[in-house]
Amino acid sequence: MAAVLLGGCTILRAPSSSSSPPSPPSPSLPAPPMQLPSQPAPYQAAPPQQPTAHENHLSPATRSLVTQARAQVAHGDLPAASSTLERAMRIETNNPLLWIELGRLRLAESNAHQAEVCGRKALALASGDHDAQTQAGRLLADALRAQGRNQQAREVETQPFMN
Amino acid sequence: MARSKSLLRRILLIIAGALGALAAVTAVWVVHLDRVVIREFQGRHWSVPARVYAEPLDLYAGASVGADDLEEELRRLHYREGDPAAGPGIYHRRGGYFDLHARRVRFVDELREPGRVSIRAGGDSVLELKGADGAELPVFRLDPLLVGSVFPVLGEDRIVLSPADVPTLLRSGVKLVEDRRFDQHHGVDPYGILRALWANLRAGRVVQGGSTLTQQLVKNYFLSDEQTIGRKTTEAVMALRLEAHFTKEDILVAYLNEVYLGQDGERAIHGFGLGSEYYFAKPLAELNIGELALLIGLVKGPSYYDPRKHADRARARRNLVLQELADARLIDSTAAKRAAAEPLGLRPPGGRYVPAYLDLVRRHLKRDYAEADLAAAGLAVYTTFDPRAQAAAERALARHLSRLDAASRVRGAHLEGAVIVAEPNSGDVVAVVGGREVGAEGFNRALDARRPIGSLVKPAVYLAALETDRYNAATLIEDAPIELKLGDGSIWAPQNFTHEIYGAVPMARALAESMNLATVRLGLAVGLPKIADTLQRLGLEARPTLNPSLLLGTVEMTPLEVVQIYTSFANGGFRARPRSVRAVLDEHGRPLKSFEVQVEVAAPPSAIYQLDRMLTLVTTRGTGRGALTRLPPGMVAAGKTGTSSDTRDSWFAGFTGSYLAVVWVGYDDNRVTGLTGAAGALPVWADTIASLKSAPFQPVPPELIEDRWIGFGDGLETRPDCNADAVAVAVPKGTVLPGNPSCSSSPGGALTDKIKTWFKTIVH
Repeated sequence: MAAVLLGGCTILRAPSSSSSPPSPPSPSLPAPPMQLPSQPAPYQAAPPQQPTAHENHLSPATRSLVTQARAQVAHGDLPAASSTLERAMRIETNNPLLWIELGRLRLAESNAHQAEVCGRKALALASGDHDAQTQAGRLLADALRAQGRNQQAREVETQPFMN
Repeated sequence: MARSKSLLRRILLIIAGALGALAAVTAVWVVHLDRVVIREFQGRHWSVPARVYAEPLDLYAGASVGADDLEEELRRLHYREGDPAAGPGIYHRRGGYFDLHARRVRFVDELREPGRVSIRAGGDSVLELKGADGAELPVFRLDPLLVGSVFPVLGEDRIVLSPADVPTLLRSGVKLVEDRRFDQHHGVDPYGILRALWANLRAGRVVQGGSTLTQQLVKNYFLSDEQTIGRKTTEAVMALRLEAHFTKEDILVAYLNEVYLGQDGERAIHGFGLGSEYYFAKPLAELNIGELALLIGLVKGPSYYDPRKHADRARARRNLVLQELADARLIDSTAAKRAAAEPLGLRPPGGRYVPAYLDLVRRHLKRDYAEADLAAAGLAVYTTFDPRAQAAAERALARHLSRLDAASRVRGAHLEGAVIVAEPNSGDVVAVVGGREVGAEGFNRALDARRPIGSLVKPAVYLAALETDRYNAATLIEDAPIELKLGDGSIWAPQNFTHEIYGAVPMARALAESMNLATVRLGLAVGLPKIADTLQRLGLEARPTLNPSLLLGTVEMTPLEVVQIYTSFANGGFRARPRSVRAVLDEHGRPLKSFEVQVEVAAPPSAIYQLDRMLTLVTTRGTGRGALTRLPPGMVAAGKTGTSSDTRDSWFAGFTGSYLAVVWVGYDDNRVTGLTGAAGALPVWADTIASLKSAPFQPVPPELIEDRWIGFGDGLETRPDCNADAVAVAVPKGTVLPGNPSCSSSPGGALTDKIKTWFKTIVH
């Protein structure tokens, strides 16, 4: 399950995964890696009413918490991972990347409904950030499929931000 | 002769028989006591009430915790200024630099061992964190503050120590003072009894007890308080059996956890773990020899030597214990002398008592736990409580209620109020003020005062309108008199609060200025069932009665229910249930249950975004504009005033980027206050928010929504350089707006300018 989640979570690049090749994305959780700059700028909340493109990043603090949450998942401690992610969300309340991460965790917990809501919330927050929108859209489609709502999943996948 | 011989034999037989029967009965009794001792002691469960912890404060570069805030927080957690190398619980501050020796802490998701951290903080925020190895630390959280405990049924409160938690000096000190031959005897100490007897005879009164620690433990743990020969015998037998089955270590640690050390109202302080927190507000491991000596001395008579009531007796007792410890060479005699000259070092127990918040916690827990488990099973409850927000809300409410009472002509009546502060994106309740008497248990208005919400309902009406896609912020609606024939045949003729009539007004203005007539007309056009649907999606549990007066807020809600509704506005249309408990751990720190954030879709994000932007106009141009003078410059807040009929209830509900707060002000007997939402509740709200560090409300604009300038009075599209009354509103992209012919909007490319200007208008 940990591998599935890690395979599906791509907000962070594994710091030193050169020795072991990354596990192929599971067909149910497709998500190619999102490239992050190696020195991410601290997350700046976009000024309001700015529909121009911007990118969401994780701050060093939330980045380290996401890393910690993944380690907790790898140890099979999903509740702890959830609480770590919520801690990150209190630090950066409007970062869609954290909602995507939480949604992936919910999928790993087989809670497809909450994963879907996380996907929708992430999508709303990702407005103006193409990469984040794509990831949120994938999460949403996966969550819909996990509930057998394949038609709706396909509709999400044909949205303009999905390519 | 033969006769008398046989008689003698018979008597002897009877005596032997009686003795045998007695021995048998005694044996049965001893076996019974033996079983009781084994059963009760082996499966022993200390009665430990659930302990409630606040949200730990997270530190990271950029966290809005200035150097002074940090020191205040460390003091709240009972960290002491000193040399951090000496051990956990100590910090050293030089300007903005802090060197901290953090304690061992149990969090929901991990157990953290003690360690050194250095923190550099500026005036307003944390700048840098480093670990013991000097490496950058991305994030570090402080200890969770103990807020209180869910009160025990029998009044017994304790913090259970494991053998590893017991300082060596405490072990040897307690044995020295209470039972010198503890390591030699088998539960009962004949020498001790003789010594006590001799001492009592010489003194002519009881000055010494001959009880061993084991007997004292048996007495407290198994037996009642009566002093009879029978009970003394039982105690002795049980003590012997206890010693036969359990190690000295088991018995000593149990004794240290059981012993009674004081009384705090209804609450009995048991054990050295709690004793340390109760008298010195720090963990046992951090006590110095003087403090430890005082606790050891208290065993003899916690009320007689009560250091808070009889400081002189307590000091003499402590110094006697110090002397004994020095004589037995357990401590250095110069150290003993130095400690004897020190003050007692008492400190008030940690955390202020917050019954209103604990009340919410108890209600949330009751869904999942039995009362008895909460009172006795030693659970640790981790909550979303924020002591800073609680203090801010209490201060603001108290200050304004006193001011309003003084200004009021109603003599002898005292205004009441309630405040709830929550985190908007999760529904986490961070503070609850249930009335102006914050320390008292009693009517919790924040949770139980169900009052008409007045105009707080209006955003739901406007949201329902936006959701139809037939309305936007610039749509003109008619503010004109209206008379409705109700189901019972009566006529309903609402009026504006100002008793004026405004005619055709843009929707944004009608909401900002809380116009009743325009709202009733809008609501009737949209349809009451739609508005009831919207309210239920937002989180109202019971379907409201479909009466036109619903549109003006005759529906009754508690402040907590209003928090639920407004969370959906603040959270981009996602509903989150108000939550106070994050997780519950059992007595061993194992997670029992966690209450994870759960959100549901309540309304389309684009409609909510349009509404939220209209709600920011309430605080810049509308009935809530009084808030801005109290808020820090640059703050963007959205919210709504509410006033019920004849000003019986004064409400304000609103949010920034960081906090959502709902305030109610009124009289308990529901009399007229003369206060609108803006006059009563709003200042409380604004001062609460102003004293918390808060990010401005900056919702992410949906891609299908754009900003346009309209005249606030006429709703016509305009430019800010042309119309001084221009306000920016959010409308669906491509919406056709009738323009002001004298100043048509500049075409394309000027959007960013508009944004900047809009920003300036709200960030003045």
